[in-house]
Amino acid sequence: MKSGTLELNGVSRRFGQTVALDNLNLRIGAGEMVALLGPSGCGKTTALRIVAGLERSDSGSVKLQDRDVTNVPAHLRNMGMVFQSYSLFPNLSAVENVEFGLKMRKVERTSRRKSALELLELVGLNTQSKRFPHQLSGGQQQRVALARALAIQPEVLLLDEPLSALDAQVRTNLREEIRRLQLSLGTTTLFVTHDQEEAMAISDRVGVMSNGRLEQIDIPDVLYNNPASTFVANFVGTMNHIPAIASGDTVNIFGKQVRIKNSHSGSGEVSALVRPESITVMRSQGAGQAKIVTRSFLGASSQIVCQLPDGAIIQSLMPSYSTGELHPGEEVNLSISLDEVLVTHV
Amino acid sequence: MAAMKKRIDLALFTALGLAGIFILLPFGSSAEFSFREYSTDGKLLHSFAPYRWIIEQPEFLSHLLLSFKLAFIAVLFTAILVVPSVAWLHLKAQSFRPIVEIVTLLPLVIPVVALSIGVQAAFPDWLQSTEYELPLMYVVLSLPFTFRILDNGLQAIPLKTISEASRGLGANWPKTIFYVIAPVMRTAVAGAFFLTFALSLGEFTLTSLLHWDTFPTWVTSVSQQNIIGAIALSVFSLAVAFLILLLVGLFSSRSKKRTEVAE
Repeated sequence: MKSGTLELNGVSRRFGQTVALDNLNLRIGAGEMVALLGPSGCGKTTALRIVAGLERSDSGSVKLQDRDVTNVPAHLRNMGMVFQSYSLFPNLSAVENVEFGLKMRKVERTSRRKSALELLELVGLNTQSKRFPHQLSGGQQQRVALARALAIQPEVLLLDEPLSALDAQVRTNLREEIRRLQLSLGTTTLFVTHDQEEAMAISDRVGVMSNGRLEQIDIPDVLYNNPASTFVANFVGTMNHIPAIASGDTVNIFGKQVRIKNSHSGSGEVSALVRPESITVMRSQGAGQAKIVTRSFLGASSQIVCQLPDGAIIQSLMPSYSTGELHPGEEVNLSISLDEVLVTHV
Repeated sequence: MAAMKKRIDLALFTALGLAGIFILLPFGSSAEFSFREYSTDGKLLHSFAPYRWIIEQPEFLSHLLLSFKLAFIAVLFTAILVVPSVAWLHLKAQSFRPIVEIVTLLPLVIPVVALSIGVQAAFPDWLQSTEYELPLMYVVLSLPFTFRILDNGLQAIPLKTISEASRGLGANWPKTIFYVIAPVMRTAVAGAFFLTFALSLGEFTLTSLLHWDTFPTWVTSVSQQNIIGAIALSVFSLAVAFLILLLVGLFSSRSKKRTEVAE
């Protein structure tokens, strides 16, 4: 079956007093991979479960291509799902697990075995097809789960924190593999994770959620460089909170007047949100604006951590070749390379 | 290191040996006793006479069959009532589990006399006039054990996510129960069935208090007049129970064998 678009319109869900999802609108194009990113309890998993039909919504609709599936039970939705906890059937071998969906669709025995083996080969497990889940490592189990979800040729692939239970090395390999498969099969995919690196690395677009609302959804570059809200700015990547004084719609940061990008109320003390790579550290003659605390060599770039006289810590990320002169304890001046910033009130 | 391992082995075998003696010695003694026959001049012989005597008793078969029937019905009730309830508890009502866990312990705490009065107060007359009130109570009496077996079995399995996975793959609830939930619960269910069966087969106190005559109560009355015959009967029923245990063991190890083949 060809992958289609997935659309959520005004989907809300409450659990008692808690609002898990608040009027979520989301459209995923055919063959697109979208990640929902957010801290735990932000509603991302609820959204995915509503799409899967494992949870009902209080209001709003879920559309698959042109079909309204809001009230269609889970087993008739034709969506493949991969869970954080693998959730393979412990009594079935790897190949039988992959076959399960096809068996439910009454696909004839030899042909379903054939497609299951093909899928296991696709995830690199063709030699372990007869093994049972408890004989496979976590990474292998999750590959089987992925093959099982893809075996039914789902209209939408749903990934619920599929990598969270795995080791760092396996996680990186498997996420590349998920992306490779997703691109080659062209399966519309919704991917839920709390790991921003994971989300940014393999998704076409990333939606950042907080308190049941979608704060911003865009391609990773825009999300990182041009966050729409202070929540997104703080959640995605590392962010400095630089104490500064605002006057009108400008703010003075390290002696430079910078325009304030977001609406804020009046003047006074604010925190300016600046990424480490936008801050340059220079040695000063005599007393400077800050003192270097540590310098960590990271390869191509180095991280310089400075402390302002009032105690605030500032992180800077600079190309390593320009940081050779900088040593802990030295007085330095700071400058920023931005013309506009987001601020929050202290 | 090796010396330590040897010492542990020694301790293990000693413990096992002592436990073996503790269990097997009474059993062996009863078995020996059950074959005793005294000749006319008072000499001790061994023969199958006590067992022949058992078979000659007209009540033997009827009581045995009644007990088997009641035990079987108790297993049926366990299958219909207890197994789905525990599965449902794990799937949909995890928060109730601690409460249920405590409630299932009550049959161990409440004296059987109190239970028997409760039965007389609570069961309708038409039910009290048939022996089918017994299996209902056998299910209750075995609940402390059957609940724990099923509960432990399900603790090890993420029943909720695997049934969600099953539904996501196109299986409706009946198919999910048949293809996923039932197979993964099989070992635990077999254990629960066996315990219900064995407990029902041997239940004496409540049966006697409710004035029913089953195999265990009959054996007790036999012991009043023929102690060797009563012991022979006990050995016989122990052997039957052991046979059932063996069958259950074979049944539930089938899945293990399958995994070994896969390796």
